Amino acid sequence: MVELVGISTLLLVFLTILLAGGVWIALALMATGYVGMQFIGGGIPSGPVLATTIWGNSNSWTLAALPLFIWMGEILFPTKLSEEMFRGLAPWLNRIPGRLMHVNVLACGIFGSVSGSSAATCATVAKIALPELKRRGYDEMVSLGSLAGAGTLGILIPPSITMVVYAVAANVSIIQIFLAGFLPGFLVMALYSGYIAGWSLAHPEKTPPADPAMTLREKLHESRQLIPLTLLILLVFFSLMLGWATATECAAWGVMGSLAIAWWHNALTWESFWASVMGTVRVNCMIMLILAGASYMSTSMAYTGIPATLASWVDSFHLSPYALIAALTVMYIVLGTALDGISMIVLTTSIVVPMIKQAEFDLVWFGIFVVLVVEMAEVSPPVGFNLFVLQTMSGKDSNTVARASLPFFFLLVVAVAIITLFPDIVMVLPRWAFPG
Amino acid sequence: MRWGLGMVRVFLDRLYLFAGYAAGGFLLAIFALMMLLSAGRPLGLNIPAGDDLVSWCMVATSFLGLAHTFRHGEMIRVGLLIDRLEGRTRHVIEIVSLLVGGFFVAFFTYYAALLTFDSWRFHDMAQGVLAVPLWIPQLGYSGGLFILLVAFVDEFVHVLRGNPPRYEKPKPQTAEEVVEQAIQSGV
Repeated sequence: MVELVGISTLLLVFLTILLAGGVWIALALMATGYVGMQFIGGGIPSGPVLATTIWGNSNSWTLAALPLFIWMGEILFPTKLSEEMFRGLAPWLNRIPGRLMHVNVLACGIFGSVSGSSAATCATVAKIALPELKRRGYDEMVSLGSLAGAGTLGILIPPSITMVVYAVAANVSIIQIFLAGFLPGFLVMALYSGYIAGWSLAHPEKTPPADPAMTLREKLHESRQLIPLTLLILLVFFSLMLGWATATECAAWGVMGSLAIAWWHNALTWESFWASVMGTVRVNCMIMLILAGASYMSTSMAYTGIPATLASWVDSFHLSPYALIAALTVMYIVLGTALDGISMIVLTTSIVVPMIKQAEFDLVWFGIFVVLVVEMAEVSPPVGFNLFVLQTMSGKDSNTVARASLPFFFLLVVAVAIITLFPDIVMVLPRWAFPG
Repeated sequence: MRWGLGMVRVFLDRLYLFAGYAAGGFLLAIFALMMLLSAGRPLGLNIPAGDDLVSWCMVATSFLGLAHTFRHGEMIRVGLLIDRLEGRTRHVIEIVSLLVGGFFVAFFTYYAALLTFDSWRFHDMAQGVLAVPLWIPQLGYSGGLFILLVAFVDEFVHVLRGNPPRYEKPKPQTAEEVVEQAIQSGV
């Protein structure tokens, strides 16, 4: 036990030095795994274990969905989708308190169901919503904050790159995590919209007048802009439900649909096509090498027995499950100030999962918890990517954007509290689809 | 001599780029295979061992593109601390990072190559419907890592001679570049 504490401390210090010193995250994980291996008795060969573990984990049919989901985003980003979404949604929101500010939440939610990335969702919607709302005189702080917050719906509403990474790291079914994300996604949207409405009622002087009224006919006419995206969502959804495609294959249908949309918008040239392919290759390679390093580190950790010992140590405190989740939330918020979401997941999963199992949480539920804390990291300084995106797009300084996002950060904390108290919100869909 | 070095430079840059293109090709192959598998099922079209082929393409696309990704500055590292350093300290840090990183890339490459060599030597066959010698798909794995190792050594020599590293993305200038870089972070 004392020896294990020593080894864990050493590994933690070693990893921190490597990461802070700028060694590439994937390689730092690999190095830590290697050092961990040296402490195991019985002469386990660290080199061959490295090569076979990573070959075995990368050579995977399920993982092949990852580059396809990344590719969908790369294809859709340069299109005019965001403009269409704004024009299609805006006419319906004029009567609700907060008016067009709700476009931010709705458009991010819709785009989140075709995109697996938070920064891409945020940037896509902000591209058009930010200038349009400013021109109409909406409060810029709430507008910025809601864009930062709602952008994170990209990783909560499936498909989601973050969920794929978690599913691989924790060895749970990707499709179950995807299904689990829908209702929490709606919950977060409701919280955001509720906040926007409440804020507008409290500050009526800061809400600009409504756009000129439209007849129902005109509204419907404007909404035809939403047709291509709706078709894409339905295509992915039905290809899965009707059994045309397995969970992995529906990513390929998504790419097909995205290519069709880009072609429809005249945004598909050989040049843009190839650029999207190469962009996908780079993001995929970056993530896969991190996953490779992480899988080696997890294997090494499992050999040392640190995670299991830590789990029973934490268990010996007889913390209530709520206290454990509260402690983990704080830990992830702190980690999120230094690391990006993917590194945060692969770094902690091998250590935290045994603890979570011991406390009898479902690993699918925990996946949604992890996605929510990653969302918090996205909107908290100093390395929140959504903040970077909005800072540049709005020309405001980082403090202003961070302050604007603060209420939405707390709404995510509220969402974590709600799903902890009512885990059924997460589990009802996956249980319905996979009984027993 | 100068001409000779120039040739090496062109060759290496092309090596990284073309391996990246090959990775792009394998991505297209994954897409095509999945569409054929999915659309072919109701039509009675069956690709033998389609899922094995997809898995192998996945390995190839993930490892062959590594060197290109590295040189493009998209292999992520924690910049919180080192981005504040400049001049000599930063230069030393880069050299140490390259040494540590390069050592583990070399270690990984050696054992991946050994795995491939053993598969070839012992005539290991894939377990699925399609009995392919296993060293063929493993070639993308060890080959991609080897090219990454070459890129690491290349950068190490380059930085050691006092040049600025080529794996660091230039600081984004326009709004588009910032957004692009944020999206490339993958989250």
